Amino acid sequence: MSILVDKNTKILVQGITGAQASFHVQRALKYGSKIVAGVAPNKNDKTYLGLPLFGSVNEAAEKTGATASIVFVPAKYAKSAIIEAIHAHLSLVVVITSGIPVRDMMEIREELSKSSTILVGPNTPGIITPQEAYMGIFPSDFHQKGKIGIISRSSTLTYEVVLEINQLGFGESTIVGLGDDLILGSNFIEMIKLFNSDTDTDAVILIGGIGGNYELEIADYYSAIDFKKPIFALIQDDFSLLSQNVGLASDIMCRGISSSEDKRKILEKAGICVVDTISSLKEKLAELC
Amino acid sequence: MNIHEYQAKKIFKQFGINVPKGLIAYTPLEAKEVAEKVSEFGPWVVKAQIQSSSRDAGRFSDKRAGKKGGIRLSKSLDEVFDNADDMLENLLVTNQTGAKGRLVSRVYVEEFIKTTKKFYLSLVIDWTVASTVLLVAPISDKDDENIIQIASDNPERILKVNLGLQKKINSEQLQQIISFMNMPVEVSILKSFLNKMLNLFYTCDVTLLEINPIGIAKNGNIWALDAKIVFDENALYRHPEIPPLFDDSEIEERELIASKFGFQYRELESGMGIIVNGDGLALSTINQAKQIGLDTACFLNLKGGVDRDKIAAGIKLIMTNPGVDGIFINILGGFSRCDLIADGIITVANDLGLNIPLVARFEGTNKDEATAILQKSGLPLAIASNTEKGLLLLKNAIAEDI
Repeated sequence: MSILVDKNTKILVQGITGAQASFHVQRALKYGSKIVAGVAPNKNDKTYLGLPLFGSVNEAAEKTGATASIVFVPAKYAKSAIIEAIHAHLSLVVVITSGIPVRDMMEIREELSKSSTILVGPNTPGIITPQEAYMGIFPSDFHQKGKIGIISRSSTLTYEVVLEINQLGFGESTIVGLGDDLILGSNFIEMIKLFNSDTDTDAVILIGGIGGNYELEIADYYSAIDFKKPIFALIQDDFSLLSQNVGLASDIMCRGISSSEDKRKILEKAGICVVDTISSLKEKLAELC
Repeated sequence: MNIHEYQAKKIFKQFGINVPKGLIAYTPLEAKEVAEKVSEFGPWVVKAQIQSSSRDAGRFSDKRAGKKGGIRLSKSLDEVFDNADDMLENLLVTNQTGAKGRLVSRVYVEEFIKTTKKFYLSLVIDWTVASTVLLVAPISDKDDENIIQIASDNPERILKVNLGLQKKINSEQLQQIISFMNMPVEVSILKSFLNKMLNLFYTCDVTLLEINPIGIAKNGNIWALDAKIVFDENALYRHPEIPPLFDDSEIEERELIASKFGFQYRELESGMGIIVNGDGLALSTINQAKQIGLDTACFLNLKGGVDRDKIAAGIKLIMTNPGVDGIFINILGGFSRCDLIADGIITVANDLGLNIPLVARFEGTNKDEATAILQKSGLPLAIASNTEKGLLLLKNAIAEDI
């Protein structure tokens, strides 16, 4: 088992004809992802990369049985593409697009709350279940099948973590890139729930990101549940290096908790193993064996 | 993307939000002249225009300005002149500017509005729940501008009203705000003030609209005594009138060039320069380097950039930084193309020469092609298989270089 995506997941691609999308779709097909259709307005009845093209998500899903979509549509048009996928009742939508306006994401979240669709991203490398399938832009050669679930808000750091833990002999059940943006379709908690009931996952690694209260939410959730798998959270220092705050409101919104030190303490109190570097993550994981 | 207070106030005015009369001045003499136009008898407030909070609590680095901050009440035209003279061409240091501070190139001269009570008021986005939030907090003269302290010590003194995607405030929320403010404000005035704020917030794709503080006058009028607007960078294509307002002079030149290419460049202390393709990776590389005693002078985040020429221009920013004593290139992942980055390195190195140690580590899309490109180039550089090894290689190379 795994979560969200496996070799049987039927996938369609929105915005398939773009250069980046074409490049990554071909690689994903080679990897084993069951991509069955592309959606491109006004290109109905044509084929592309050997896949049938449809004018709408609804039609593509109906004719091919696809239940999941990867969105490569440019930021300006991403909102309508994503809402179209939600309205078509797809169970999973993975948004690779970066640079979607904040207001558009807020409206997307509003639509999402009225549906049962799971949205992952935007600005994410996607989801990969090693040696089965992926939805997104993963380099295909360095994930190993295994028992660790990974949920991440930092794309590049995910690759680094995977490389390092694989050297220890670990592998991954599924890796979910939540995305590097501030407004996300899914949060850590939703994914922890899925990993918690996945028999192939023994432990979960969380990789924190910049801004928002996503990491703090986990503490409230995790300390309240009974059955839980071990969680390791990588929370880095010095996020202030990267943000250029001018207002005060964002600090107020973080409950006055601005330093990563405070974030760590709150997570530790909830029973989560918190580390600040990849090397200490490796040490803690080694103890798990 | 931020703008100055005086620009924000101009936009406030366009949206009907009540702001004191004010004019901008670039010299002390100009300040005195505009003060006369702003108000006949004064008093006036002279305000340093830099993009930072807590300007009042800030201090100027040049001692001639004395120990007062960047917002000063001035009772006579001569005082306006003196205060403007203190501030202009001086560096103002606040808790958001870094130790160097920011150069004050203009001051805003405003009429002084007598108010009986002040409140912090802002519209902000709660990212996690994807909702607009209104924040209100009373500000006493004693802890003026120190709203962060209130947030951590007495969070109950800040009212948070969740507005979702509402474009107008409803009567229930209005009642809640009024009873929290605990003072006689006329409902219709407050309602119209808040709705104008919300209108601006939505119309211009604003992610932060902060007034620290609003003042309430004896006659019940509400004044925006301060104004801060942060725009959503990703939505600027919908607002062509906004980018011309941005003041590039506050941004370091290299940062500015990088941002024009869609990259992020930051200067830290001294040491090596890092080129990466992600925020998280930048931090982890810097932290890992620190552990083996390597300091970082600057880093460039290429994000998911896939344009050959832009990548080369970005790499040039690091290579031409005179403070950099070695370069570490750490690229991981799917969207970035390692081969394009390798091409960029070669282009710049052939152009400018490579006089400092360079170590590259590629992992991900087309990494073998990238390695081959670098090896074939004959340039004096090294290739590493992971971050740790790369950093050690660079450390030794820098030591030998010196």
